[in-house]
Amino acid sequence: MTLLPRLVLLAGLFLAATASAHVASNSFLHLAVTGDRVEGSLELSLRDAELALGLDANRDGKVSWGEVRTAQGSLATYFQSHLHLNVPEGACDVKFGSVMISDRVDGAYIWQPLAAICPGRPQLMTVAYRLLDEEDPSHRGLLSLTAREVTQSAVLGGPRVVQQFDLARPSALNAFREYLQAGIGHIWSGIDHLLFLLSLLLPAVLLRREDRWQAQPAALPALLNIMKVVTAFTLAHSITLGLAAFDLVRIPSRLTESVIAASIIVAALNNVMPWVTHARWRIAFAFGLLHGFGFASVLTELGLPAGARIVSLVAFNLGVEAGQLAVVLLVMPVAYVLRRTAIYRFGVLPWGSLAIAGLASVWFVQRALG
Amino acid sequence: MTKSSTRDPSSRQARQGRRGWRDALLALLSATAAGAVCAGPYIPASDAAILAEVPVGAQHADVSVRRLAQGRLDVALPLAQFYIGQARATGDLRFLGYAEAVLGPWVGKDSPDATALVYLATIEQSRHAFDKALLTLDRALSLRRDNPQAWLTRATVLRVQGQYDEAGAACTQFAAGADEVSAAICSQGVIALQGGLASAYAALARLPVQTMAAPERAWRDSELGEMAARLGDDGAAERWFASSLASNRNDFYVLGAYADLLLRGHRPAQVLQLLRGKDSIEPLLLRIAIAQKQLHDPGLRDSQARLAAAFAAESARGESIHRREQARYLLQVESRPREALAAALLNWQVQREPDDGLVLVAAAQACGVPQSAATAVTVLHLQGVRDDGIAHPFQDTP
Repeated sequence: MTLLPRLVLLAGLFLAATASAHVASNSFLHLAVTGDRVEGSLELSLRDAELALGLDANRDGKVSWGEVRTAQGSLATYFQSHLHLNVPEGACDVKFGSVMISDRVDGAYIWQPLAAICPGRPQLMTVAYRLLDEEDPSHRGLLSLTAREVTQSAVLGGPRVVQQFDLARPSALNAFREYLQAGIGHIWSGIDHLLFLLSLLLPAVLLRREDRWQAQPAALPALLNIMKVVTAFTLAHSITLGLAAFDLVRIPSRLTESVIAASIIVAALNNVMPWVTHARWRIAFAFGLLHGFGFASVLTELGLPAGARIVSLVAFNLGVEAGQLAVVLLVMPVAYVLRRTAIYRFGVLPWGSLAIAGLASVWFVQRALG
Repeated sequence: MTKSSTRDPSSRQARQGRRGWRDALLALLSATAAGAVCAGPYIPASDAAILAEVPVGAQHADVSVRRLAQGRLDVALPLAQFYIGQARATGDLRFLGYAEAVLGPWVGKDSPDATALVYLATIEQSRHAFDKALLTLDRALSLRRDNPQAWLTRATVLRVQGQYDEAGAACTQFAAGADEVSAAICSQGVIALQGGLASAYAALARLPVQTMAAPERAWRDSELGEMAARLGDDGAAERWFASSLASNRNDFYVLGAYADLLLRGHRPAQVLQLLRGKDSIEPLLLRIAIAQKQLHDPGLRDSQARLAAAFAAESARGESIHRREQARYLLQVESRPREALAAALLNWQVQREPDDGLVLVAAAQACGVPQSAATAVTVLHLQGVRDDGIAHPFQDTP
């Protein structure tokens, strides 16, 4: 086991025999159902195939392509007896095609195309997965099953040998709920997004006249100010969140995080030494674009479920908005009531903003240089 | 002797300087490289092309021995032990599954065997299924109370979970059936985490080495190395780790702790030297990646792609064996503090060793929310980590 030769890697190739990362034993089963037909592939690690049915015919401890080709028949038999697809009307007839090889990070895999014909157009499908059940109880099959443009994923094997999948009802509702919660959770834990917004909103109940902050006399302009800032921020980060979530634009995380910190400094200092005194929504929009990339990094970690990508993205965004709105509704009425007081105009606004800018500066240094 | 394969003390990251852009670019490239690895199926050019090497013990030819083990305990136990040993030496998780399969008939409800249950608990512990391991150990101990190995494994698991009083009690039970040295290592290791670091260190260092067996010596020295590192005596820590490795070259837990010490001392080149050929073991690959990052080594791309893929595979299975490593990876290699904090918090629910606390503190600091690691700070103080080490878990001491 040596470190991978770098040249090999640069060429985008990966020689399985030279290195093995130690991941647990997984296979990858892709199934796509159209009408009464199923097409897909099964990827099983050569290590696992060797253990289960023996590929290394000459017993030299190495598996060659010749040995895999020779074993094709017994591989198909093994798969046929250990993987079953059933629909309520009966068993699907599964056929396995010619073996190919695919390279994964932990080594070479057998890539086995499969095609099946099922009795009737299935609404329900049962997958029975028994690969390596005798040899390695920790082996799992990672299934991705697509039907009617919805993809479900599941972990097969182990305690759950037989699993049933509903092909009719998309799981979009569940995805929606899950991502909505994630969105709300994120805005609460992502204190930096809130501080940015807060910095822009603190002066929304005030007016800048003759280089001084004065209370906004009426409620309507204050409300309009707040709405403009919140809308601009929402619009901007929705755009970039969408772009990043669909991988259309990618920005290094360190850059995003640093600029987010910088945006807080700018927004907060603008309250102390104002240079953008009206239409602050422009700041909200410009930097909101970058905050969107920040949200996206969380979403990347969660992953968007295939088949429910748009629903999940919308749900996540709505969650972020809901969390944001809750904070605005909590803080702004208080700010509005206090807007005429000296404490608000000469205390909360400048010193609060300075404190925010100070905190953000620490983050900036940590994120940009750390 | 059972030893947690899960512990790997954190290090303080070397000064990064203004490398953000370059690192970010590398991260981007690595993502591309990871994609290239799964480029789609192909047909190899020739029959002679070697696609995989099958390690000893993972060959189909052993099927007859495995079948024999189904009916004979005297075959099953050594075979399971061999597989667990292979998993330790190579970091290959598949071997744990092979061991589990062999133990299957001997750990069921009908006529379980106490030793087989202890082996199963060891497997569960290696997979960080700590609560499950404790239940299995309870079953083993209900069959036979006088079972030192079961008590020691129990002590280890409880210690990882941060349940020190119970871990100490398990050490006392262990002492009844163990030699003096092993008993002392077990109990002093726990005392050291309960506020008695200095005295525990002195007690273990005082043990006479003449009568110590090599595995015991390796175990003691690794504990001493860890304690010295917490005490801030890096020089002594290095001597203890080196001495431990002299007795057991392949203990990847000690290798990880030693690598962390080197990283903290800004000696990344030595980390790569120490861990050469050990990159198949995920916690060690993490240290390699951190060292490569400090050295601007182009090999980082490969390490990053492999670590990312390993973490992705784990989460696809709904598991989190390497969450501590994942947190450190996100924080120190990927520079994604938010995700690192999320991982570190989840990890903290499962394990509470000093390293788990340190990675949580570091991630919380990087996110600007140090208060979310308040509990960890309290625990770290109890565990004897110095203020300086807590304040700068991954940074240089000036």
